[in-house]
This record gives sequence, C-alpha cells and structure tokens, in this order.
Amino acid sequence: MCKLLYIVIFFFSVNVFAQVPMNNQEAMALKTLVKNRAATTKTILSDFTQSKHLDFLDNDIVTKGELAFKSPNLIKWSYIEPFKYSVVFKNETLYINDEGNKNKVDIGSSKMFKQLNKLIINSVKGDMFDDNAFSIAYFKHNDSSLVQFTTKDEKLSKYISAFHITFNKKGDVEHVKMLEPSGDFTKIDFVNRVLNSPINDTLFTN
Amino acid sequence: MTRYLLISICLLVFGCGSFPKKQGFTQTIISERIIENNYFSNENTDYVYKAQIDIYNNHFGGLLIIKKIQENIHRVVFTTEMGTKLFDFSFNENDFKVNYIINDLDKSLLIKILKQDFKTLITETLKIENHYKIGLQEVYETSLYNKKHFYFYEDDKLDKIERVKGAKKIVSFQFSYISDSIAKQIDIIHNNLKLKITLKSIN
Repeated sequence: MCKLLYIVIFFFSVNVFAQVPMNNQEAMALKTLVKNRAATTKTILSDFTQSKHLDFLDNDIVTKGELAFKSPNLIKWSYIEPFKYSVVFKNETLYINDEGNKNKVDIGSSKMFKQLNKLIINSVKGDMFDDNAFSIAYFKHNDSSLVQFTTKDEKLSKYISAFHITFNKKGDVEHVKMLEPSGDFTKIDFVNRVLNSPINDTLFTN
Repeated sequence: MTRYLLISICLLVFGCGSFPKKQGFTQTIISERIIENNYFSNENTDYVYKAQIDIYNNHFGGLLIIKKIQENIHRVVFTTEMGTKLFDFSFNENDFKVNYIINDLDKSLLIKILKQDFKTLITETLKIENHYKIGLQEVYETSLYNKKHFYFYEDDKLDKIERVKGAKKIVSFQFSYISDSIAKQIDIIHNNLKLKITLKSIN
C-alpha cells in the first residue's frame, strides 16, 4: 500500500514539475526572442483549430480555419469548418461575413472592444509583455515555453482572466488559451505557420 | 352611452375570434393527455447551433449551446464565433438563473424574451388542453408560462410551435431537417418585434 502511494506521488510530482518556472535570465531571453520575432514578422499565414471548453459539455466545440496577419494591424480570421464565417479587423472596424451576410461593426466608441482587438493582434504575435496590464509568469515545458499573462484590468478580467501562450523554440506562438473567470476557456492551436510571405491587402476585405 | 359600450364589446368579441377558428382548425376529442418535445431531451448530447440573429435591421451571429444537465435542468449558453461568452442561463424546472451576461446585453426586456423563447425550446412535456386537426397536421393547444401555445405535429414529428395571444400569432418556432431527434434547423420568428433567430445545428 505504502509503495503504491509512493508511486502515485512520484508520477503526480513528475506531472506537476514537467512545467518548471523559468529563472529571471531565461525569462528575459524568451521575452527578447519573442519581441525580436514579432518585430521582424511582417505577415503571418496559419491554419488554426479552436476548441471551446465549457465545463458542462461532454465535448469541446471544435472549429477550424485560417488566420492572416499583415503588419502593423490587419488581421483576418476565417472559420471554414463546420461553418463559414470570417472577420477582418481593419482600423477601428470589424468587417464580418457570416455565410454571405455582410456586416460592419464600428468599435471606435468601445474602449473594451479596442482593448480586445489590440490583445488579439498581440496574442497572434505573442508580444503581450506589458507589465502594467498583466502579471506575467514564465515556465519551461519540454522544448516549449509557456507564459501566463494574468489580466490586471478589472473590466477586462470579467471577460478574460488570463492568456496562456505557448511558444516554440523559435519564439513563434503555438497555442493561445484564453481563460474566463468561470474556468471555461478557448484554446487556439496554430499549425502550418508561414511567416513573411507577401500578402496582398485585398485579402483583408470581407 | 350604454348602447355604445355594448356595441364596442360586441365588436371586440366578434372581431377577435379565437386562433383555432381563424386558422380553420377542426376540433376533435382524443384520449391522450400529454405531448412531448424531445429536441433537447438527451442528456448525452451537446446541442450546438450556429445562430444568426436579426433584430431591427442589425445582424449578428454566434454559437448557441444547449445542454440537458439532468431531469428538468438545462444550461443555455451563447458565445461569439471566436469563443467569447455573451450569456449563460440555467433553467431548473420553473427556476431561471442568469449565470453570466455581458453588460451590453444586460437588459431585463431582452432577458425576458430570451428566457421565454428558450423555455419553449427545452420544455419536454406539456398538458393538452384542446386538440384540433388541419390537413395532415395534429394541433395541440397547451399553456406554457401562462401563455397559450399551439403545437403542430405531422407523422408524430413536431414541426412547429406557435405562441398565440387572442387570434394572433406572437412567436413561431419552426423545426426543420429533423434527423435522429435533432432539429437541424430551428427558426424563431417574433411577429410583434423585428426579431428573427435562425439556428443551424453544427453537431
């Protein structure tokens, strides 16, 4: 019995410590890597899989699509499966194409939307190292790094309490997890990422 | 004056008539007491719909998620396509609780409309008050939250629910493309408001 308990504790511990906090030097190195990477990223094309986790559901809701980003602030999210829906963030307007129904939302007047918009753009590049807006914790996990950005702003934290971003060795974003205060979350996995290939502005119309 | 009042009352009574009469239903007698709506009754199914909402010339969309947690308990959650939660309601028999709603939607009239519409969708058994026929359809009159509802069945399949006031249709719920007890499309049309909700199953 005692032996079994030790084995259980051993595996549990291994699982916990697989995610090790970084020391200051490692954290600074990662921050510099991601910031440099973000600064030299002019365009991003990537496929993504989004999983919406709601505690009371048996399965996460999985949607798939493509992301296009062009520096400094053009972004298009296109959902392809299981429905067609795309949204372009351009200046202070969202251009939505909902299975052919086109719609425009002016977010200029909403501070909250502007803030969310900025965060979405920053999270795609991973560059969210703003100590005024977040308390930031750094972890190592195998070959990847995990940075937890916990929201400080009271209003924003009602929507999203934290962003957890996983970076690969090169400093590219692999996953973004947006946590809600209830514990439910949205996780986005990026695959087939292509950096700095030319993208025509016409892609960002809807 | 009295004569004028009498004429007014007569006009009111005969002018309105009843919904079944106006629709040309034939009343019949049946032995059943209860009807069922099983479109959200399976505890093992996550009901996920892509929703399109048109309200006073504004169009917006999202995902409507309905889950039966246990007998008589449902959760109804609406999120944007990108996953942001807009509202989260719990229905427990006759209890209703707002677990979460974003400030922009936190309006008592809107919550009341949504609460009634979702209550109609998820209510599974109803007492029959009257029975009618029209063409191939069986029509059952019943009450839900003290409002008159008519349920239309064809081949034992629920096609439509009408919430009615006097002889007027107030809200129509249309269920189409039914497969394995799931309505693949649901249209909720409010006749007294410029509000239409279209739900398409993505399960």
